[in-house]
Amino acid sequence: MLRYVAKRLLIMVPTLVIISLLVFFIITLPPGNCVTAQIDEILSSGGPNAIEKVRQLEQLYDLDKSWWERYAIWASGALTWDFGLSCQDNQPVSQLIGERIALTMVMEISTIIFIWVVSFIIGVYAATHQYRPGDYIASFIGFVGLATPNFLLALVLLYVGKRYFGVSVGGLMDPQYIDQPWSWEKIHSILQHLIIPVVVIGTAGTAGMIRRLRANLLDELQKQYVTTGRAKGLPPLKLLVKYPLRHALNPFVADIGHILPEVISGSVIVSVVLSLPTTGPMLLSALKTQDTNLAATFLLFVAVLTVIGTLISDLLLAALDPRIRLQGGTEK
Amino acid sequence: MTGGGMQGIHVFTWSAGVPPASPAAQAKGENPSALARRCGRDARAPSESSTNRGTLSHIRRWGAALASLAVCLAMLPPVAVGAGDACPPVREMTHGNGRTLTLKEVPFLAEQVKTGRLPPVAERAPREPLVIERFAGQDGPGRSGGEMIMLMAIPREVRMMVVYGYARLVGFDDRRQLVPDLLQDIEVEEGRIFTLKLRAGHKWSDGKPFTTEDFRYFWEDVANNPELSPSGPPLEMLVDGKPPKVEIIDETTIRYSWDLPNPYFLPAQARPSPLFIYRPAHYLKQFHKKYADPAALAKLVDRYRQRTWASLHNRMDDMYRNENPDLPSLHPWILESRPPYQQRIAFVRNPYFHRVDANGVQLPYIDRVYMNLVSPSLIPLKAGSGESDLQARYLRFDNYTFLRQGAKQFGFDVRLWETGLGAHLALYPNLNYEEPVWQAVLREPNVRRALSMAIDRDEINEILYIGLASPSNNTVRPASPLFREEYRHKYATFNPKEANRVLDKVQITMPDGTQGNLRKRNSRGVRLLPDGRPMVIVLETAGESTEETDVLRLVSDSWKRIGVELVTRPQTREILRGRIYSGEAMMTIWGGLENGVPDARSNPAELACLSQSVLWCPKFGQYRETGGKSGEPIPESLAVVRELSELAKRWGRTADCREQERIWHRMLQIHADFQYTIGLVAGVKQPVVVSARLKNVPEKGVYSWEPYAFFGAYRPDTFWMEGKR
Repeated sequence: MLRYVAKRLLIMVPTLVIISLLVFFIITLPPGNCVTAQIDEILSSGGPNAIEKVRQLEQLYDLDKSWWERYAIWASGALTWDFGLSCQDNQPVSQLIGERIALTMVMEISTIIFIWVVSFIIGVYAATHQYRPGDYIASFIGFVGLATPNFLLALVLLYVGKRYFGVSVGGLMDPQYIDQPWSWEKIHSILQHLIIPVVVIGTAGTAGMIRRLRANLLDELQKQYVTTGRAKGLPPLKLLVKYPLRHALNPFVADIGHILPEVISGSVIVSVVLSLPTTGPMLLSALKTQDTNLAATFLLFVAVLTVIGTLISDLLLAALDPRIRLQGGTEK
Repeated sequence: MTGGGMQGIHVFTWSAGVPPASPAAQAKGENPSALARRCGRDARAPSESSTNRGTLSHIRRWGAALASLAVCLAMLPPVAVGAGDACPPVREMTHGNGRTLTLKEVPFLAEQVKTGRLPPVAERAPREPLVIERFAGQDGPGRSGGEMIMLMAIPREVRMMVVYGYARLVGFDDRRQLVPDLLQDIEVEEGRIFTLKLRAGHKWSDGKPFTTEDFRYFWEDVANNPELSPSGPPLEMLVDGKPPKVEIIDETTIRYSWDLPNPYFLPAQARPSPLFIYRPAHYLKQFHKKYADPAALAKLVDRYRQRTWASLHNRMDDMYRNENPDLPSLHPWILESRPPYQQRIAFVRNPYFHRVDANGVQLPYIDRVYMNLVSPSLIPLKAGSGESDLQARYLRFDNYTFLRQGAKQFGFDVRLWETGLGAHLALYPNLNYEEPVWQAVLREPNVRRALSMAIDRDEINEILYIGLASPSNNTVRPASPLFREEYRHKYATFNPKEANRVLDKVQITMPDGTQGNLRKRNSRGVRLLPDGRPMVIVLETAGESTEETDVLRLVSDSWKRIGVELVTRPQTREILRGRIYSGEAMMTIWGGLENGVPDARSNPAELACLSQSVLWCPKFGQYRETGGKSGEPIPESLAVVRELSELAKRWGRTADCREQERIWHRMLQIHADFQYTIGLVAGVKQPVVVSARLKNVPEKGVYSWEPYAFFGAYRPDTFWMEGKR
């Protein structure tokens, strides 16, 4: 087992290198660079020295070097937690991303928990009450969630939240807590604000999960051993939890690997719409302005999270399902 | 204008220790402002203003500032933002007669004064502060305190505080008059000798004195330092390429003199993004090779990860970008939070600000300003639910109804201000389009006239702006004294028949010298270029707003009637600019003239090909900007374009405002006649959300970059908050 984990961890390294290299390369593909976006504004305010200022800026961001040279500089810095300067804000990237990544993780983890809890309850209910009103209602809500664009749902919820519940629109906390030290009120405010993004990002994922769990569970419920168990007089709940549900959970856990990137990419748009202080909006603007250092750093973190997420899901799966564990053992 | 002296900004001396206005100043007071003289303004001015001053000082002797204020207000003509003289006099200064104005301590700072961390207000404000007696809004002097929240989209907009704060050497007020602000006084002789008089005892926001040393530092050590300014001093400081003679007379007096008039100098000071001709020398010297200890400087360069001391200095001294919280400032609010900004930017009052109200309360009234950072698409929603105290940025006319819905529930007011653009949207045929046949077509004036006549502007106005805008060429607005009906309507009335007739008659001289016409059409009714290609105009847009796309759809429909097809192609803004500059874009849509309400003293550069940012002739502009190194010279065949450039140059060489007025009219006439830009509609209103608690924001105003600096000319430091949040 330990060897397996170590092997997986080792494979992560080249994966991440390749991802960041690709990211760097793709960002530099379109014409112009991150200073281009500022040139116009510098020219309009800077007078005759503007050209010189632009040149200075380009030097500052090493734009006079080729993209792989810049990649080398960035990557070697990244090893020492120095991701270079962000082109837009002229600030060290490491200062820009800290809080955002933390808040992003909080949001993403809560979203995944939300997806699990909701889809587990609804999925099991829908499967055990197949073709009854409850099943139809659950399916209906699930499909609506799947079909509605996230950003639209976000806007509607925002308006409703403000109009009827007085929760301030967008953001992850009430304005008075910004830049304030952590306190219970601040955490409370953040939790309050987390509801909308979590529901919005979660709905699409939840719908898929419900359907999968329901289908799997229905398959299992048809099987002989269930009938046998029932015939032998096992109480219905025990019967459900002990046997078919355990089988059905397998794909459920394996899906974490899927949900994680889905949640992360889904959250970008929602974060932009809701103007959350997460990585989403910053990543988007970094990509738009070809701020390579910033974008590459973000994507690196996203990649790390995804890779780790997949690893965790694999490990969980092994813990959950003896068949997988044992198979791994025989191979050894 | 009668009563000019009364509305003037009265500067009182307030402390017994200060001598009354110096004899020199008094002598000056007898004369009309030197700037008025420069404009060849009427000889009646002296007698009028001196009578006024007589009555005024009489009243003053009786005391009661409020009484005098009331009289002043009573005698004010109604505030007309309307057309007037194109050469308004620069507002006169009246000097106090030794009257004492007792300054009151600011409650917000009282604690710091008590503990000795700040000197009392009497020592913080300049010895002769700028006393505000007339407010742009209707609520008069107010109470000190409170916080104001605004919404912005990106951290870079921290600079908007320099625009809103609008502390300038001279600046425009809400009636577009140029008045001294940071300066106590300015004297201009023959339009070429500028004597600037600073306020004695004026201090930077860190409490260090603001003196002529700061001007000297900029001039000698920044503008003329080959490493900091490799291309030399800013263009506005050069006349015919020659720099001014700079004389420092004493700590508060400095004189710039050129051999020829320099009409760019003062307007450059009043711009929203001004030409700062001073720097906080005491702070910046630590970054300057000439003054700093080399080892310490090298360390600083390293710490800020710069390559040279010059790039470090350039980064630290940018007074417009406003990204350095340590850089001392003269603005009403100074940067309080340090970058990077994730969610909001905080500003706090400048304890050394130079403006006070007539009751002796130091401005700004509001203690703190917050800019909350929100994605632009959310700003209307947030403003509409009362989360901004003052918001116009990122609000558009089509948000108006939504904003109104929330107004009562969340306690704010939605006002509709004028926008100052020459046209809300205008089409820019690119005379430098690189493809030769199209270039010849676009350079033909009759083609542009026909295109303009074939646009149904009324339809655009009715459908997209519910009839609240007005069809117009891209020209000055009726509020400008330079406005003439002809400039607005020439070739701008929908007449497809005439447009067709004009297009049928057009003769195009092809690049190979042959003549061609546009009479032939293909099976779809689209006209054919002389070389047989269909006449399809590709219009590239910045693609950010659906508004532009909607407008273009209507234009496209009406152009079909004259056999011209329109295809729109969205780009990102940066790429689009590049394509325009390099002649790859055939036509674009953009806002019209930035300053739609100029007077004769406003720089007409926008109307001529002087810079590459002029979207209809970028390469001609580039040629002039780079001194012929890149771009293209204006060819003989475009005599009128040449004339525009000549006119703009001539405008810069004269000190005679009437001559400048004639030049403006000639240029506007040319634009109306030749349709270099095709304006669509103008006067689209700007919704302004104002919290019910925020006072002194005018009911009616103009929201424009130039000359109003958005809110700047209305002096946000005079806005105040009623009650508690």
